[in-house]
Amino acid sequence: MTSFETSARVGDARSGKLHCRDTVVETPHLFPVINFYCGGLARTHFGGGVFRTVKEFLSNEVPAANGTDYSEYFRGVMTSVASLTDFGLSRERYLSYLETPVKSRPEFAEFDGALFVDSGGYKLLNEGSLSGTNFSIETSQKLIHGIQRAFGADIAVNLDLPFEESDVYRDRVSKTEATASFAAEFVNMDAEGSRRYLTVHGYSKAMLDRFFDTVARTLPGPIDQFYDGIAFGGLVPKKDDLNGLINAVSSLKTVLAERNLSHLPIHVLGISGRAMPLLIALGVDTFDSSTYLHSAINGKYSTSLFTSTNVAEADFDICDCPVCTSPALRQQMRGDAEYQKDILGPVAVHNLILQQQFVKRLRRSIAEGNREQLRTFLENAYQDRPQSRKFAYRVINQTLGSYF
Amino acid sequence: MSEQLEYRKPSVNEVNEFLEIASDFQDPLELIREALSNSYDAKASRVTIEIDQRFDGRTRIRIQDDGNGMDEEGLTSFFDLGNSTKEDSIGYKGHGTKIYYKSDLVEVDTAKDGVGYRAVMEDPWEKLNSHELPEYSLYSGTGVDETYTNIEIVGFRSGEGFSAGKLTYNRINHYINWKTIGGSLAHRLAADPHEMEIRVELDDVFDDTRNELVQQSRFEFPQERTDLQRLDDIESACKHYPYRQRTVEVNGREVTYDIVGFVAGKEAREELPTYGRHSTQFGIWLAKDHIKVERVPSVVGSDHETPRFFFVANCQELELSANRETVRNKSSALFDALVSDLKRFLDRVVEDPWYREYLAQRKTVEIEESADEAAGSIQDRIERARYANTVSVSNSHELIARCTEYASSGGSFGQIVDFDSTEDIEAIVEKGGEYRAVALTPSLHDLFVAERAVREADQIICWEYGDLDILRQIEVDGYLGRDIQFVLSAEEPYCELDGERIPVLELQQCFS
Ligand SMILES: [Zn+2]
Repeated sequence: MTSFETSARVGDARSGKLHCRDTVVETPHLFPVINFYCGGLARTHFGGGVFRTVKEFLSNEVPAANGTDYSEYFRGVMTSVASLTDFGLSRERYLSYLETPVKSRPEFAEFDGALFVDSGGYKLLNEGSLSGTNFSIETSQKLIHGIQRAFGADIAVNLDLPFEESDVYRDRVSKTEATASFAAEFVNMDAEGSRRYLTVHGYSKAMLDRFFDTVARTLPGPIDQFYDGIAFGGLVPKKDDLNGLINAVSSLKTVLAERNLSHLPIHVLGISGRAMPLLIALGVDTFDSSTYLHSAINGKYSTSLFTSTNVAEADFDICDCPVCTSPALRQQMRGDAEYQKDILGPVAVHNLILQQQFVKRLRRSIAEGNREQLRTFLENAYQDRPQSRKFAYRVINQTLGSYF
Repeated sequence: MSEQLEYRKPSVNEVNEFLEIASDFQDPLELIREALSNSYDAKASRVTIEIDQRFDGRTRIRIQDDGNGMDEEGLTSFFDLGNSTKEDSIGYKGHGTKIYYKSDLVEVDTAKDGVGYRAVMEDPWEKLNSHELPEYSLYSGTGVDETYTNIEIVGFRSGEGFSAGKLTYNRINHYINWKTIGGSLAHRLAADPHEMEIRVELDDVFDDTRNELVQQSRFEFPQERTDLQRLDDIESACKHYPYRQRTVEVNGREVTYDIVGFVAGKEAREELPTYGRHSTQFGIWLAKDHIKVERVPSVVGSDHETPRFFFVANCQELELSANRETVRNKSSALFDALVSDLKRFLDRVVEDPWYREYLAQRKTVEIEESADEAAGSIQDRIERARYANTVSVSNSHELIARCTEYASSGGSFGQIVDFDSTEDIEAIVEKGGEYRAVALTPSLHDLFVAERAVREADQIICWEYGDLDILRQIEVDGYLGRDIQFVLSAEEPYCELDGERIPVLELQQCFS
């Protein structure tokens, strides 16, 4: 069975279903970044401060979730192999974390979303190893894949080397070759029913063409014979450059079309916020982001996809999400809690819900095939944002037809 | 409190009021504006304005239209102040006709509903200035079949006067198109404008170049030419952006306005009439009654050149000064909301695919022009080098030049005899009496990223090829509208620009 079915298109935007083992994710979709293992114990949901509170929501734990079902906001989540070392880790805990897949653990029994496990291998490759407090394992495609399997990944990507701003041509060539060889190694490993995504890098059509040529040379057959999707990486440094993002994604779409790979779902790694609706309009299917959490940690309560206010000044009445309408959680967000994580955890979940609601509206417009509705929704979303408005109009013109 | 004595009304000095309002009008041409508006409001299909000079040297202006005419009430309000009977009239109600008071004689002949009227007012301006309210006599007679209005003004006063030098067909034509109902955009902004033919006849004393001027009451855009295939066409390109109705929110209330316009190159813009400096007439105009009033310069951002745009935004909720020259409610929420929304609208225009293509083509034209200049100056430089016969290398590219000499140790290369770093093609190389134009660059991709004109180059010398991804992307996108290919793996590497081969030398290789 194919892993991805598209059911509707409006312009270049598409809506569909991503089948991952026993879970189905409706696209477009935003995967929140979750760190499952933060150095803690099972009884603390493996710790992690604000992450821990978010995990309580994800697993419908009392008192955080308080009986409300939050699962629709966690239909698919992203986690990274590299995050294992974020909080310091002993060998014993490392082994115990890998003993049981995430979704088979009683702590996360309520979580039934799709689990996308990024390699995060760039960080580990730079460090040369996965290093805990009392152990160290050399980084390799095999190690990364082993951890992805141990997590119980529904979607896994190959190890990759993203480009950096300072890279010259030769650097990009050698990184592409390394990524391609990891991609070739990856397809020989047992996937155990998980979906494989190919990491792709490049900002222009020429770079992407060279990338795909290189990968095609290393694989023994067509890319879609081995890979179920495309994970477009290396765009985080461009997150504030809408022009660059739009060009990169448009180029990728062109390259995939020319190579008869348009049927593969496209995931953009590490991007959300103001660019996301435009990239959806261009045909990106899924995203992941940790901004919901990081802005909460910085005390930011989102008021729209683009704006936020300090939690202390937030008016919870203007939001009808389950977090803001819960008297107990409002109390907590106002500061009435013993730990910071219980103040900011609900804020993070609210921030996430706001983003998810936005994506859901886009998804519905696309699914209904309603070009005018999608157009108006996008135009209205950007009309009072002079810096990004012109890029929005460009994408709308390009994909949904000119205003004139 | 004490007992109330009586009710009192504040009084008005009528004479001063008339004087002041009439004085608001400065330009004598404003009389023509007023006359045309009145005829249009009277649903006239033709209006004729004749201006001549009487034997005593005074000007006489006659305005005749075939409109609905006036009855007694209409005539009364024609002479009264602030008492217009018209519901749907142009301009500030009841003020405009007071411009006629700046004269020695006002005669009005008009007919409506079978009754003809004649009103005569003598020496209004002199009387007002002697603090006397001028009177008019009124006659009537029945049995008139048609409807019409004929007005005659003698000895009109103005700051500038109707001097022979200033009153020309050309000037009046442009004024009518730019400032009056004759330049109405109703036909572009709304569905059903009323058409009126305007005829102006000037005495030979003023302008003897032709007998009359005839035009319709509509502002014509330059002809639309959206085809950008030929580079020569770019200056005459013109795209019309069709009428759109837009809504803005002002204090919780919805206000609509209409906008229409075009984007054009210089030649196309020259087709427009002008009043004042041509360059200052482009940009985004606010309008009322479908007539342009005032520009809002802030709408076109610094990324774009204002003179490329001509847009007119008509909003009936704008309030105008008495002489219609400016918007009066500029510090209102309405004005702010309009300006914000015009910025949104202009973003749509500049992100429209045609406009983006137009900008790209313009850039190509600019580079082409620079290439044409290069062709000329290369010839000059070869001539100079031929006679001066000295080597001049004195800047940052000197190093490359020296490297070139190294490479030529076998005598195969020649000698750099002219070098100018401000040129796209910096060097002239001489060998055996033959001269070559050579573009120098540290890396090949730099040369093309900088969009230098290389068409005239006989050779490109680079230290290294540089970023091949960038070069491949240039092949994909084309270079300044031309096909380009880099064939660098060949024995004699070259780049091919629209079929023309330019040899490329990678110097680094000569040293390894
Ligand atoms: Zn909320």
